Amino acid sequence: MSGSPTSSAATDEELMEAYIDGDEAAHRLLFERYAPILLRLTRRHLRDDDLAREIVQQTFFRLHGARNDFRRGSSVRPWVMTIAMNLVREHWRRMKRRKMTQLEPDTHAAPDAEFTPLELRQRSELLHVALEKLPTSQREVVELHWFQERPYAEVAQIMGTSEGAVRVRAHRAYATLKQLLVSEIRGDE
Amino acid sequence: MTSGNDSPGAGLGERLLELDPPEPAEPAEGLARMFGEVKSRCEASDRTIPGFLRSRSTVARRAIVLAVFALLLFVGWFVFPLVGDHARTAPWMASLVTFCVLLLLAMLMVTRPVHLPELPRWQIIGLVSVAIGATIVAAFWPIPAAQAATPEHAGGVMAGVCMGVGLLLGVPVYALLRLLDRGHALGSVVAAAAAGLGANFVLKAHCPIPGTSHELLGHASVALVFVLGLGLVHHWLPQKPR
Repeated sequence: MSGSPTSSAATDEELMEAYIDGDEAAHRLLFERYAPILLRLTRRHLRDDDLAREIVQQTFFRLHGARNDFRRGSSVRPWVMTIAMNLVREHWRRMKRRKMTQLEPDTHAAPDAEFTPLELRQRSELLHVALEKLPTSQREVVELHWFQERPYAEVAQIMGTSEGAVRVRAHRAYATLKQLLVSEIRGDE
Repeated sequence: MTSGNDSPGAGLGERLLELDPPEPAEPAEGLARMFGEVKSRCEASDRTIPGFLRSRSTVARRAIVLAVFALLLFVGWFVFPLVGDHARTAPWMASLVTFCVLLLLAMLMVTRPVHLPELPRWQIIGLVSVAIGATIVAAFWPIPAAQAATPEHAGGVMAGVCMGVGLLLGVPVYALLRLLDRGHALGSVVAAAAAGLGANFVLKAHCPIPGTSHELLGHASVALVFVLGLGLVHHWLPQKPR
């Protein structure tokens, strides 16, 4: 045990158990821990701040409804991530979108030490466009493995597939991204 | 990060870090406001019967559905007259068992926990298609006219009656599954298919009217009407988050 159930030193699982028992402070702490992580994840996927906030709120609303399924010994993070990823996928299905945006050549400049807000936005756009070129399954692997720094075993759990399949997708995704983001600025590949 | 072929490698890793610099911390007021909205939404949901039922554990939700189905089956089977003994053929029994199995699968899909990855779409659409297909195939195994208790029927009138009864029977099944669905993407369509299966089970078990045309018009159509009507309408119309 890392501390009292609602102290900031408590583990996610201790907080979750306290939350199931009706501890509102534990609910708030869980939200404060996961909302920033989920906001970053959903913003990168959706490119819409309001929508990202709505998805994060809906994730916690669904977590609230599903809390009685939580069992001791389970890990909270894959739970929350899976709910969020399901909601993001559902959103894309509803939108019936996936418009293919083209890479903008003038955003390929080499990095400088300091960036203006415009440059940062261009860089973010470049990354977004590159990620958009990946199939959804590969994109989700990159999101969870690289940006969220989750191990392959956990990514597999969240995506409902095998670790081997996740590794294959990661290999393909990183090869594509390398082609899109690295070789063009170096001109050596 | 991990090493090997399935890791980004130094060049790409640096590039990704350049393009995705750490974001400034989320303002505390913004998070507090978001949490306040989530909390009030959760509290409002807890005060409703659907919210209360949906927040039961998955085991409890499935037990509720099975208990209601078992009760309906018991009442339907023993209280109302079944088709005559001669009509209880192997195809008749096979149809009933198939409807039960598909109904069970639909129930498992609708009550699937939301912390698990969504099932692939092809599995959901596959189940709905098989459910509709099963009701159509069952119509080609009707009660032989010679064995039917009511050998004559007034054209499509009785088919209309069966269809009406079937639609009425399916509504509680649909309502129950929707009540316990935590918000799956195609939950309404699967629940509609389950309603059609439930209705077809009862009609197959009790309806004494013979003929493929009667079963197609009066029985199989129920599943189709449910899926095309309630299922798709609820799927496409904007819904409140659950």
